[in-house]
Amino acid sequence: MFTGFVRTIILYILITAGVRLMGKRQVGELEPSELVLSLIIADLASVPMQDYGIPLLTGVVPIITLLSLTMILSVLTMKSVRFRTIMCGRPSIIIANGTLDQREMAKNRLTVDELLEELRGKGYTDLSQVRYAILETNGQLSVLPYANQKPPTARDLKVSVEEGGLPRVVVSDGRLLEHNLKALGHDRPWLEQQLKQKGCRELSKVFLLLVDEADGVYLAQKET
Amino acid sequence: MRRLWIAAGLLVLLLCASLANGWYAGKLTGAMGEQLRQAQIQAEQGNWTQAESLTRQAYLDWQRDHFYFHTTMRHSDTDQILRSFRAVLEYVRLQEPDQYNAANADLIAQLELLAEMEQPAAVNVL
Repeated sequence: MFTGFVRTIILYILITAGVRLMGKRQVGELEPSELVLSLIIADLASVPMQDYGIPLLTGVVPIITLLSLTMILSVLTMKSVRFRTIMCGRPSIIIANGTLDQREMAKNRLTVDELLEELRGKGYTDLSQVRYAILETNGQLSVLPYANQKPPTARDLKVSVEEGGLPRVVVSDGRLLEHNLKALGHDRPWLEQQLKQKGCRELSKVFLLLVDEADGVYLAQKET
Repeated sequence: MRRLWIAAGLLVLLLCASLANGWYAGKLTGAMGEQLRQAQIQAEQGNWTQAESLTRQAYLDWQRDHFYFHTTMRHSDTDQILRSFRAVLEYVRLQEPDQYNAANADLIAQLELLAEMEQPAAVNVL
């Protein structure tokens, strides 16, 4: 038990450090410590599950150790900026004022092809459109285009638009979600009236009904 | 902050449990090993009945703590010790000095190794 306990701590720290050194590109959407946890925990759980010659405790002790370590790391990451930087790293500015930072790219093992692929995925085919590209700690690329490359907003066009608010599901597959209807400040007669207006007579024939805060209604009837 | 203390508490609890387990395993196997050594001394003096009685007592102690050993140690190791106990008991009953001495020494070594595996030592961790 002691050996398993200490080995788990050593291996967790070692693999977390290893994943951090791999750079953000390899991390994907998880933070390094979360990736390590998901990598190890599945394997730890499967060994005592398959091998009946190993006591259950040999799987349980390392799993509890890992979960406790992760909990400690997540609290420390929230509380301390310095610790967060050590554990998760800092975002890297890959393009600053339209200029590629080749040193940052090398540091993050980000190739030109990968950068262009990420930019294309965000809708930018031309590097000259991009003012800033930031590689976040979870491996995602955030792109800030030049102001003249941004699509105009309603405010830019000085057009007034109605605020629709958050649409809520009121009917899902013929079932009425009363709490959502009540939260929107409506009742059953109001709903029946809306259905009537949309040409739907029965609730059971509704596949999806969404209502937003401005009483905008979206109705999809069940296919017959 | 409460999550931090819960997690830290769990880690401390696991550390204490693992250290206690190492100590307890050492204590149990040490006592059994001592009984087996005493049995060997008795056998060397020709007192086979006393040797058999001491060996059987060690075997009964092992059986009494079977649940503990089976839930904390590798089953292959505990099963091997059980087989060795049965062999030693048979040799002591048949009063076969050479085979008894060899099997008893093997059993004592197995018990020592079983406890050693649980000791908080750098050699085990590495």
